Amino acid sequence: MNVSLKWLSDHVDFSEYSMSELDDLLTFTGIEVEGIQSLPDHVVVAEVLSSEGHPDADKLSVCQVDDGSGTPRQIVCGAKNYQVGDKVALALPGCVLDGGDGKTFEIKEGKLRGVESLGMMCAAAEIGLTDDADGLLILSPDLKPGTPLSEVYPAVFELEITPNRPDCLSHLGVARELAALAGKPLRGSAHHGNSKTPAREAKSDEIQISTESCPYYTARVIRGVKVGESPSWLKEKLESIGLRPINNVVDITNYVLMEMGHPLHAFDMARLDGGIHVRAAAAGEEFLALDGETYALTAEDMVIADGSRAVAIGGVMGGDDSGVTEATTDILIESAYFVPSAIRRTARRLNLHSDSSYRFERGADPHQVNGASDLAVQWILELAGGTAESEIVTCGGVPAPPVSVELDNDYVRSVIGAEITNEEISSILKSLGMEEGSGEWKMPSYRLDLPRAVDLVEEVARVYGLDKVPANQKSWFSAASKADVSFDFASKIQSHLSSLGFFEARNLKLISEAQLADDVATSHRGMSPVRLKNPLNDEQDYLRPGIVPGLLATAGRNVRFGNPDLRLFEMGRVFTATPKGGEVEHEHLALLMTGAKAPRSWASGKVNGKPENVDIHDLRAVLEAFCPAGLNLVPVDDDRMLCACSIEIGSGKKSAKLGLAGIVSPARARELDLEAPVMVAEINLKKLAAATNADLTYAELPKFPGSSRDVAMVVPADLAAGEVAAFLEAHEEPLLQSVELFDVFQDPSGEKLPADKKSLAYSITYRSPDRTLEAAEVENAHLKLLDSLKSGLHVDFR
Amino acid sequence: MLAELEQIKTDALSAIEAIADESALEEARVGFLGKKGRLTAASAGMRDVPREQKKDVGQKLNEVRTAITEALEEKGAGLTAVRDAAAFASIDPTLPARSLPKGGLHPLTHVLNEAVSVLRRMGFALAEGPEIETEWHCFDALNTPEDHPARNESDTFYFENGKLLRTHTSSVQIRTMEKEVPPVRIIAPGSAFRRDEIDATHLSAFHQLEGLYVDKNVSLADLKGTLEYFFREIFGSKTEVRFRPHFFPFTEPSFEVDLKLHATGKAAKWIEIAGCGIVDPAVFSEVSKQRGDAAYDPSEISGFAFGMGLDRLAMIMYGIPDLRLLIENDVRFLGQFS
Repeated sequence: MNVSLKWLSDHVDFSEYSMSELDDLLTFTGIEVEGIQSLPDHVVVAEVLSSEGHPDADKLSVCQVDDGSGTPRQIVCGAKNYQVGDKVALALPGCVLDGGDGKTFEIKEGKLRGVESLGMMCAAAEIGLTDDADGLLILSPDLKPGTPLSEVYPAVFELEITPNRPDCLSHLGVARELAALAGKPLRGSAHHGNSKTPAREAKSDEIQISTESCPYYTARVIRGVKVGESPSWLKEKLESIGLRPINNVVDITNYVLMEMGHPLHAFDMARLDGGIHVRAAAAGEEFLALDGETYALTAEDMVIADGSRAVAIGGVMGGDDSGVTEATTDILIESAYFVPSAIRRTARRLNLHSDSSYRFERGADPHQVNGASDLAVQWILELAGGTAESEIVTCGGVPAPPVSVELDNDYVRSVIGAEITNEEISSILKSLGMEEGSGEWKMPSYRLDLPRAVDLVEEVARVYGLDKVPANQKSWFSAASKADVSFDFASKIQSHLSSLGFFEARNLKLISEAQLADDVATSHRGMSPVRLKNPLNDEQDYLRPGIVPGLLATAGRNVRFGNPDLRLFEMGRVFTATPKGGEVEHEHLALLMTGAKAPRSWASGKVNGKPENVDIHDLRAVLEAFCPAGLNLVPVDDDRMLCACSIEIGSGKKSAKLGLAGIVSPARARELDLEAPVMVAEINLKKLAAATNADLTYAELPKFPGSSRDVAMVVPADLAAGEVAAFLEAHEEPLLQSVELFDVFQDPSGEKLPADKKSLAYSITYRSPDRTLEAAEVENAHLKLLDSLKSGLHVDFR
Repeated sequence: MLAELEQIKTDALSAIEAIADESALEEARVGFLGKKGRLTAASAGMRDVPREQKKDVGQKLNEVRTAITEALEEKGAGLTAVRDAAAFASIDPTLPARSLPKGGLHPLTHVLNEAVSVLRRMGFALAEGPEIETEWHCFDALNTPEDHPARNESDTFYFENGKLLRTHTSSVQIRTMEKEVPPVRIIAPGSAFRRDEIDATHLSAFHQLEGLYVDKNVSLADLKGTLEYFFREIFGSKTEVRFRPHFFPFTEPSFEVDLKLHATGKAAKWIEIAGCGIVDPAVFSEVSKQRGDAAYDPSEISGFAFGMGLDRLAMIMYGIPDLRLLIENDVRFLGQFS
């Protein structure tokens, strides 16, 4: 909301405050200052002394203006809406104006179509006053030429009022708050609401209410008004806060809105067919509003109707064909109280937000309905003439009277944690317009937000300020929670992976339907992905069931940025839906490796002059580095990846399955601009943590030397090394200590080895914990192993 | 004999002196000291040496052997030194490093770790909750009016079953109070979601850090002390902190916390960094209803809560101008924080 300093000064004297002090004062009231608007420098009031046609341009005129300097100034102008003698806004050379789109332009002395022009006469929009760009801004005739325009329209605060404070949505409301905080008196009344006009209950053909959305409606008729331009003080007031003046009647309703925060509406009596009926809209009823749009209404909306049609969407916007125009002579001023939730529902559904709906949906003061009407009528009579009916016609009743709240001052002190005296508490609450009773406080009608004692504590704390409250430090020992344990586990892996050369990515958890196909997570076999009901777009309509899809997109993006060599990891939540309609959330870890093993350099390994690419064995090395001992990659049937392997700790039935690793299908990788092979792995962190044995125990170091024997075996080319490893692991030989695969050889040409065979060479170590082995013992054990390999796996030895 | 020995010594020393490689050294050793070497052959002549000369000749023999052996060793050491030097002579230590792969944590993780480590020192334990939440945990229990705009489908992501993506980590306050009895002192870092189009200052998914302290007699003074200490640990002990009255449905009184910070070369200004307040008794009442006990009776206990945006904290701490950098994961960006 825009609030003019000059307007505020109608209510409180802030003359000794600087702008930044006022800014602070507002801030500590709880009102956020989002910006301070002031008019550009070098814009002054000027009087048009003469205006003649431009010799070479039909649409331009050449004017002499009085800028207060004593010497007439020549200005070339394209506008037509002024007359000689008018006061206009003149931007002098050196003035910097906003050109839109964040650009500025400076006014310079120059020639327009050959005629010298020493400045620019401006429209309201050009100096950022209102959005009116049609013709020059015509100023009050009373202004003195040369007066800086920033004196005519002083600074305006752009304020953000929190939703609990509808009472601050007006100049009077903000002034009331500031006065309380600054300890200053309000000029005049704190409240325009006390109406002196006699009220008369409406006859059924005058006003009828048939909806609960409107508890109270009033109408006041003024006949014989003369609709015309508003006086300059009123226009300046509205312009200063960015409102475009329309005519005196409409301007007055806007003035009352901005002054008191109570929206009004003026109808042209001649365009109303009979009495007012406040009713629910008919389903499908269409309404042409004064913004020129047609709105389709439902039975949830409320309309103000006459005998034949809707003339306003209640509390939101008037109709196109019932408002006040230059031809209007008799008017009906509507002042009413509408239920906030009803207005909010309609404004939101129609996406139609007006100054009126903004206030009604936050809560207007029901006790100033009549007062707001009075203020408007008083000004209309003064500015537009006419005769008001002596009574205000009312229908329904004002809801609940102001509340009283019990307050124990000790409670105030205990919540705030400061020794505030009873006198201080009383003085603060009184300054906010509350009346003290015995142990309780009566709220002013405009404070609908304070029904409980704790709400009053907030008021005291706010005005007292946290500056004076001590800063306590208190703490105790906290036991580690489950979340602490998993946080620490995750941190360890994060730092391990970053030392291994991985960068941590953090992707959005929302992915597209197409990306679902990239998922390789195994936590959710048999479950489905979770879809949003109201996604922003179809790029982000699913919650990720795994992390790999996001990592792949990140990898593609990096390749396009020129970073083809990638080691990435990401940790975080993944989501799946259970068949019963619930959701499951897991913590996952995913890895991605692609591109060169090491950046191209004099020292890096090269194949045909190019850096060597990472392969699945590099991925395995990384997995072994942070996973517990006993890691196995067990090939599985999975058509989403090449070389898909289940990541397992241990083997056989007791193995822990952590997740899946493999090579992304090259076709899919190429779609993502990933040319080099892409290795990925996705791991369930909880399973990894469970498999990671935290209890480390010492094992005795060997005291006696071991003895090694090498064996090279020829096996079918498609026999997985893992099968041989598993076979060797299962071999029962107490002296067998370790097995190491040191060579893999294949010859596609078939010269040294049949093409369908491969050679695996192992170094096998035998050791006894309690003695040095005799050569014969080793030989014996080794021969048994070879026999077993031959009979069990049908291998040949080279 | 003595003269012969002297001659052998002279020959040997000059031959060794001239040696340039290790194989010649070995030849010389064999040629003089080997089984068929000259000195070995000469020493065989001891038999014929008259008795009275044996001592002198023996001494001479030893002297010559020692001299040749030492010369060989000395030459050998010299040659080894030359070979060692030659082995490393071609190394250019000014070549660029043989690279180790470079990695690092996401800036958000750095910020999170730092915040968590400070708060843990202050006695807070971690807590967590689901990101797919019920409307009750996200709004109702947090005293959010039924027609509050945040509940709108235009602002919040929903699922067909009525659940939603939590719009703040404050739902973890409720999750914790459901399970634990006071005193409670927790922090909950995590993701939150709002239905915002992504731009430089908005993400549809972002990160928050929530804090909750519930006990007997918790006051604004405790809240002030806690947050001032926390922010001064992060931003420096002289950092100015101010508490600005604000409004949140689930705290009363509510404040926003501003820090006076300055970007490099610019004047310091107040920057909004967190929201906080005294837990609204309505929240405790709602939790009590759900628990069906009096553990959170608002007349017996009180508490404070705070929350801050970690993405925003990262922007401020590292001078990151655009939130989208945080989700783009360009490794050139990530590499700046390792």
